[in-house]
Amino acid sequence: MFTTVKKGRLLQTIAELMFFDLSTFVSSPVNKSLSQSVLSMKWFRPQKVIVQGITDYQATFYALQMKAYGTNIIAGISPGGGGTTIEQIPVFNLIEEVQTHIGSVDLSLIFVHPYEVLDAAKEAIAAGIRQIIIFTPRVPPQDTIELIKHAKSTNTLILGPGSHGIVVPQKVWLGNLQPQFYQPGNIGLISSSRHLCYEVAAELNAAQMGQSIVISLGSDRIIGSDLAHWLGVLNEDSNTKAIVAIGQSINRVESIIAYSKNHGYNKPILFYLAGLKAPEAKMYCDALTIISNHLSASIPVVNRDRQTTDELREIGIKIAKKPSEIPTILQQELAAMDK
Amino acid sequence: MELLEYQAKELFRIVGIPILPSLTIEDSRKIKQLQIPYPVVLKSQVRSGGRGKAGGVRFAANTIDAIAAARSIFNLSILGEYPEVILAEAHYNTERELFLGIVLDYDLQRPVLLGSPWGGMNIDSLLANLQQVVVEDDFSLFYARRLAAKMGLAGKLICSISDLIAKMYRLFEERDLDLIEINPLGVNARGELMALDGRIMVNDCALARQPIIETLNFSAQQKASTHQSAWKTNQNFSQVRWRWLDWHHQTGKIAIICSSFDAALLTWDLLEQDEVVPACSVLIENSLAIEADNLLYREQLWSILQELESFVGIEAIIINVWDTEAISREIVRTVIDYCATKTTQEPITPSPTEAILVNSNVGSERQELALAPSLDSALIATHPSFVLRLPQQSNLDEINSAHIYLSSSLEESIDTAVAIIRSS
Repeated sequence: MFTTVKKGRLLQTIAELMFFDLSTFVSSPVNKSLSQSVLSMKWFRPQKVIVQGITDYQATFYALQMKAYGTNIIAGISPGGGGTTIEQIPVFNLIEEVQTHIGSVDLSLIFVHPYEVLDAAKEAIAAGIRQIIIFTPRVPPQDTIELIKHAKSTNTLILGPGSHGIVVPQKVWLGNLQPQFYQPGNIGLISSSRHLCYEVAAELNAAQMGQSIVISLGSDRIIGSDLAHWLGVLNEDSNTKAIVAIGQSINRVESIIAYSKNHGYNKPILFYLAGLKAPEAKMYCDALTIISNHLSASIPVVNRDRQTTDELREIGIKIAKKPSEIPTILQQELAAMDK
Repeated sequence: MELLEYQAKELFRIVGIPILPSLTIEDSRKIKQLQIPYPVVLKSQVRSGGRGKAGGVRFAANTIDAIAAARSIFNLSILGEYPEVILAEAHYNTERELFLGIVLDYDLQRPVLLGSPWGGMNIDSLLANLQQVVVEDDFSLFYARRLAAKMGLAGKLICSISDLIAKMYRLFEERDLDLIEINPLGVNARGELMALDGRIMVNDCALARQPIIETLNFSAQQKASTHQSAWKTNQNFSQVRWRWLDWHHQTGKIAIICSSFDAALLTWDLLEQDEVVPACSVLIENSLAIEADNLLYREQLWSILQELESFVGIEAIIINVWDTEAISREIVRTVIDYCATKTTQEPITPSPTEAILVNSNVGSERQELALAPSLDSALIATHPSFVLRLPQQSNLDEINSAHIYLSSSLEESIDTAVAIIRSS
């Protein structure tokens, strides 16, 4: 973690570089998650981006689309592919070669095979990159666990595995969320599902409520930065007036509730949990439930969905039942805030 | 991928977890070649738990007994699964039975060691006395000793059990397991340990990098239940695939075709909120990069529609596909052509009524919509109506059928489908 002096300097540098005002940070008490939040805010500004695994068909496809949109992709990495170019994007064997020949790198987008993700991310971290988005889904969980430990000790922010990236409508496009479905505005959208993002954005757009940022967390069962983390970041972001979190099920609300108790959310937050009524088998996440269920299928598993939504309501989070309710609830909440 | 007992024991043997001498039998006649001294235990190799109580485990005192027992086990289905293989194993005299396991806890993002001093078939007392130790960092033997102590073990057992857990952990880590379990772990009068039964679950995402697992001769059921890594490489990036979701409801009248799992989840959820249970759901996944390949999409969609014909009682098909304009166009064309072939096959063909486009701006059309299907209900009974939910509405072919509804709004499409089945 940063010392207080370094923190101050970091804030200043970032404030100079970003189009976000940092008054909320400066006035808020210094806390453990501050430097993490500040790091996260760097996502909002244009930066130097590399694509690891750029020769993969999907990576090439999206890299070229992002570049056309204005994302500053300075190089691609593909072991064995060094020295070539893909539509004017130079390809290197190693990240350190990019740093020698082109210059510093702020962010890496990883598209490599699932079994190469851990190695690719470690290479990026070793090269000093502190922001990584992993698009590859289905990474073996033990690899992800090791990566998260490594990222924590180096203060690196990981989005994914299985993320679709980040969109700041008409400003930033990192990944494969289609930016044409989003409009600029002040609603922050967090989800792990690309499709549900489109659905909710369509409802918001129809109600003239654009989005400040759209963040795709990742489809894997174990991911780097989670919902609680990004709720904290958007809670501090002055361009975001309200937050919508979209999910299929919310298992870990403890950290969200803890943040609410320690800091308090100062803007409306709305959760839309899709598929509570669908016959999808529940994912068992904790060891005791997994083993009980494995030993005997006849042991009833308690459905905690109701309890979870009640807990969220208690800390003031609104719950929407269908996408069309979202703009209405947000408008009510925002109107109540103005009074 | 869940391994069967004999496959799990093969991995146990490799890391030195003690197992009994045994033989796998695919045919009850093979029992004559059994080298293990009688009495033996014959165990049905199926994945479901509780096979002991279901009669899948039998003792045999001699060859004649064993052949009869094997025959009855081969003919016994446990939770719908027949064994392809029986494991014949030596008998072991235990003084006590323990439970040991290691599970990947997705909430904690850590492996958890589990142990119960009461192993075996009595699950209630096993779970009531279950102890756990979270492995916070790299594994070290003290985590295992901590578990042994929590289980109330004493003396030499503390060391022998923790050594055994270390071997289990080695498998867990090296083979990308989600779960490894020994139940029961037999302890004999001399304090020696024996893994009498074992379960292993390999993480599906890691299967392809575990060549040893591939050598274990999977049963048909195992293969069917495994989702092979869906990672798209350059070779198969450009393709259209479809599959059924495992959601079925016999009395359902609506079929759902969606472009992603989340879309299906959402569509199903919204229908259930309207107290309508859908019949089934299909995913059609498209990774076509070149528009010229869109005919592939048509072929796949057509085959889905043909398969749906085998479902009795489906009155409406919702197609909720969020894709490119070209794909939307292809879907509309396919559905129009499909309806045309169905209609010409019917002897009574009413003149096609005007298509009704659902439009959020025009409220009055909604009433018309609810009435429309009843106009020619004779045809409804023979082929279902289509509700197309497509985000792009421009450049679509003109729809000239009373059975095809088009909307860009999901919730409007849901309302339409519900109105169709309620009016019939």
